[in-house]
Amino acid sequence: MTGYLAKRLLWLIPVIFIVAGLTFILMHNAPGGPWDRDLNARQVDPTAQKLLNEYYGLNKPLVNQFTSYLIGGTNTTTHKWVCGLICGNMGPSYRIRGMSVQQYLFKPPTNRNFFYSKFGYSIRLAFLALGIAILVGLPMGVISALKQNTWIDYINLFVATVGISVPNFVIAIFLIIIFASTLHWVSIVPTSWDELNVWILPGLVLGFGVLARTARLSRATMLEVMRMDYVRTARAKGLTERVVVVRHMIQNAMIPVVTFLGPALAGLITGSFIIETMFGFPGMGRAYVTAISQRDYSMIMGTTLIYAVLVAIANLSVDFVYVLLDPRIKLTE
Amino acid sequence: MEEQATSTTPAANVASLNEISTPRRDLLADAWYRLTKNKGAVAGMIVIALFILVAIFADKISPHNPLQLNSGFDYLPPFWVKENAAGHAGNPNFIFGTDTLGRDVLSRTLYGARVSMVVGIFPTAIILLVGTFIGLYSGYKGGWIDNLLMRFTDVVYAFPDLLFFIIVMISLRDTVIGKMLNGLFLLFLALAIVNWVGVARIVRGQVLSLREKEFVEAARAIGASNRRIMFKHILPNSLGPIIITAATTVPGMIITEAILGYLGLGLRPSTNPQDFFLTSWGALLLDGQTAINTQPWALLFPAICVSLVVLAFTFLGDGLRDALDPRLQGTQ
Amino acid sequence: MRSKLLVIVSLLMVASMVLGACAKAPAAPSQTLRVNLGTYPDTLDPQKSSFVNEIAHLKMIYEGLTRLDANLETVAGAAEKWSYNADATVLTFTLRANLKYSDGSLLNAKRFEYSILRNIDPTTAGEYASITDDIAGATEWRSADLATATPEQLAILKSNVQVKATDGGGVACTGYDQKDCNTLVIGLKQPAPYFHTVMSLWVTYPAKQELIEQGGESWYTDPALQLGNGPMVLSTLEPTVSAMFTPNANYWRGTAKVNIEFRYITDSAVSFQAYKNGEFDVIPLGAEDFATAQNDATLASQILNYPGSCTFALMFHQLKEPFTDQKVREAFAYALDRSAWVTDILKGLGNPTLTWIPKGFPGYDAQETRWGFDPAAAKQAIADSSYGSVDKLPPITLTFSDTPRNRTRYEWLAAKYKEVLGVDMALNPVESTTYTALTKDINTAPQVYILGWCADYPDPQNWLSVYWKTGAFGERIGYTNPTLDAKLAEADSSTDPTARMALYAQAQTMLTDTAPVAFFWNNMNTYLVQSYVKGITQTPMDSGWPGDIDPLTITIEK
Repeated sequence: MTGYLAKRLLWLIPVIFIVAGLTFILMHNAPGGPWDRDLNARQVDPTAQKLLNEYYGLNKPLVNQFTSYLIGGTNTTTHKWVCGLICGNMGPSYRIRGMSVQQYLFKPPTNRNFFYSKFGYSIRLAFLALGIAILVGLPMGVISALKQNTWIDYINLFVATVGISVPNFVIAIFLIIIFASTLHWVSIVPTSWDELNVWILPGLVLGFGVLARTARLSRATMLEVMRMDYVRTARAKGLTERVVVVRHMIQNAMIPVVTFLGPALAGLITGSFIIETMFGFPGMGRAYVTAISQRDYSMIMGTTLIYAVLVAIANLSVDFVYVLLDPRIKLTE
Repeated sequence: MEEQATSTTPAANVASLNEISTPRRDLLADAWYRLTKNKGAVAGMIVIALFILVAIFADKISPHNPLQLNSGFDYLPPFWVKENAAGHAGNPNFIFGTDTLGRDVLSRTLYGARVSMVVGIFPTAIILLVGTFIGLYSGYKGGWIDNLLMRFTDVVYAFPDLLFFIIVMISLRDTVIGKMLNGLFLLFLALAIVNWVGVARIVRGQVLSLREKEFVEAARAIGASNRRIMFKHILPNSLGPIIITAATTVPGMIITEAILGYLGLGLRPSTNPQDFFLTSWGALLLDGQTAINTQPWALLFPAICVSLVVLAFTFLGDGLRDALDPRLQGTQ
Repeated sequence: MRSKLLVIVSLLMVASMVLGACAKAPAAPSQTLRVNLGTYPDTLDPQKSSFVNEIAHLKMIYEGLTRLDANLETVAGAAEKWSYNADATVLTFTLRANLKYSDGSLLNAKRFEYSILRNIDPTTAGEYASITDDIAGATEWRSADLATATPEQLAILKSNVQVKATDGGGVACTGYDQKDCNTLVIGLKQPAPYFHTVMSLWVTYPAKQELIEQGGESWYTDPALQLGNGPMVLSTLEPTVSAMFTPNANYWRGTAKVNIEFRYITDSAVSFQAYKNGEFDVIPLGAEDFATAQNDATLASQILNYPGSCTFALMFHQLKEPFTDQKVREAFAYALDRSAWVTDILKGLGNPTLTWIPKGFPGYDAQETRWGFDPAAAKQAIADSSYGSVDKLPPITLTFSDTPRNRTRYEWLAAKYKEVLGVDMALNPVESTTYTALTKDINTAPQVYILGWCADYPDPQNWLSVYWKTGAFGERIGYTNPTLDAKLAEADSSTDPTARMALYAQAQTMLTDTAPVAFFWNNMNTYLVQSYVKGITQTPMDSGWPGDIDPLTITIEK
């Protein structure tokens, strides 16, 4: 097990290297650069652009830029050697002046702990959304399967259809109109993210799609499992229905659901863009989306690599959960 | 791997036993029979067929030219609404109302079926084919092949979709591929490349658990070939999640097309009513979202269409899964 | 197994919300104006900012030597008075006596010297640095090659920049605590009688050197280091969530009566809902929601809709067929139904225009009527062109930055050109940054596209010389006109205000002569403001919300 874990973690290094390389090549191929701004105003003039390029090392050959990013390099303007990614330095953001990517994403405001950084906020919201998705979606799917073709099944089908086919920006506005404008249970624009109740709407909006997919997927796998011989055997043995359902059916039905939820969590952490534009949530989703259109190169690299690591860790955990769920699965090689 | 082909006799015996117990019938014909018996699945197929017909004949059934601007008739609600938020009354000429430029929402929704059906179905087909095959192979073979393929999926997964779309669209837009089908072909390709990984991983997860199951061991014991085990034993048993993924991928593609449109990477807008692909439900959803306070109807109709398609695929998917379930083979 | 999983999930959920709950709320103010500003700024460093939302914050915290009043006249700010020498090459400011920062510390001319020099400093690499290029020595220092220049060479370049803080007697100041250091002398490399207006801009705002150095490059994120001399004080700043401003008791014009809080909800539908729920006092209003607000008895009275500071034009690339032919440009300008655009597309949130400088700005030309909407003239112009008829025109592609809003706009435009001229235009949506990059280069700039210009400061020089002189922005569509250049050079250096305005007026007419672009529309600033908010002073130059030109007059009466 430890050997397996070590091996998988070692695999992370080439994966990250390849992702970094590909991202680097692709983003530098996109037309435009970080200094191409809002059109209807004065653009950065050539002199300033040259200075900025020098300061950020954008005037160097691409290969040098890449090695500077990974290992380190000398800054043209300050003549100092700056260590790169291997030292945990994800480079200066090109748009948020004077801040490094790691500062922007991971540094909490003064007097606050790590969970108040952008990444921290996103992690918290993602776990809340995942929790809602599992706590609601899983029972929905299981009950639907057990009560196939009853009204419960149809209600679940309706919710899942909405969750899958209606984009979450639309769901968000409807939830806002219902819970904030009509019922006045919550305010739309939270005055503080320290209160618990303001998290519920954003969590629900973020988790709705995952919830719907969890429900559909767990229903499908449950129906599959219900027909298995061992379930018949378990019943024949005279086990109580509860034990049959929980021990034999749900546990076996979880595998595809878990497979789906692992990477979904990584998506939830980085995918809070809509929540941020709608509720003013201080997460990292906006950085992830706007960096690309702003051509904020180091922010693109940073957010991509964070996502890559998250996905890799999620998939690794998924493999371990497989073992927990089904002892026959062996983690070798 | 040596065990294959060593003991053909027991396998033949089992096969003959099988033939005695039930009359042998073609798997597909059997599945089709059971599919047609499933009301939900039939309804799903009818809805899908209907939308395909709408897509093909949109130009014949649309009451208006979807590009016709009607100055002064903007933001009309559906004809039965007396007054909407902007103070406009419905007009029987425009059954579903009009958009911000006074264009007929019904006609645009009908035309939108074209892009959305195509975008929903074709990339999904590619994704399923590629994803299933790779997931199956990787999960079944295990070892270094599995490891390599899964690390490869890690790379694809971790890659920012958006960046990939932007680069691909920008660099290939003016090439032959980029111009095929008004830019749609390129879109299919990009969507498929980014999305096959999810299917591959789900299938692999299924296979990992299935390959240790008793019936696989049994098949192996009687000397079934690897290919036979993969395609005849494991694949039919993992169809459930695959079909569910397919049913959720179709609307996913429709919505992704909308979001790509938002980023300037979607279908080229057309100014010629003779063009086949004019607008998409995704584009209509985005139009509707920006005007949600004034004209919620503009959002409602495309949303209903997308939901109907999803429901149809869900029912069809459920039916298909039941029909293809090997444990139900031969039963009626 | 399952129940264990559920327990873990529930624990994670609770933990996710409670983790690190050690909140400390700022002292609750009596009345607070809650403004939805939209996008959170990328930077709040005065010498590195350039966006409207960034400037909105800086305008609260700081004040320049001069400032703009409600009529966009340049009036005294931190400087009590200013004067030019005879040929307008030396500008001398005299600061107010007893000028203070919000914490009561001394603000002398040395501070302004520092911030103006910091804006020029090549190591700052400010994005708006070029705006002070009229200062003698500024361009030379700014364009120094940092990779090769020695510190000594840079020091010489810096000392050559003609910005000097002195005491009343003309002796250079020694430090930031020198009380009689009240004069700032700026040498200009050519006559620039508009330059006192440039000194009202955010790039000159006097952030303190020692605080900038203390905080390092990201100093601006710490409210304690954002110590300014403006009407408000930044008391808390929670990135992407809120910024709270309290009145500055040491502001020379008086103390504001309300606190101001900025929030950052970018989704307009949500912002509108929040306003209706009473969670915001001021929000920007989009074209989509305008009709709804107008149709609502309460909301209708709360709409503020007044001209903004931008002009948009349909740009023709003068070097790309068929727009090399003036008659074709005229035809496309004639065929443009600007009023229909304002009604159909902008839903009334704009004003059609036939000239460059917008209404409300010095230099506006109300008399200009050339190339206005006239279908017959448009057809005639095509017939008179070297092409002779519409079907002989080469293919025309209309390029735009792709957003849902733009799609409907350009679909409208193409449909109208088809209707009026019978010309088929292909639409080419491109990703927004790609679009910016395309339009910046004369070779890649599209055949025809819409572009706008928003005023930096209200002076015709900013509209005409900054944009249309050879080598400036207008050259991107291949426009160069030596006669216009000469006229503008004469106007820029003219010290007689009346003669100067007359020269600019002539230049503007000259620009329209060859129809290089089709002037299209001016934007409107459109906001919803709750009825209990009084004393909003609106100007076309408002940055992000109405009333930011003078927060002192704002009161909340509820």
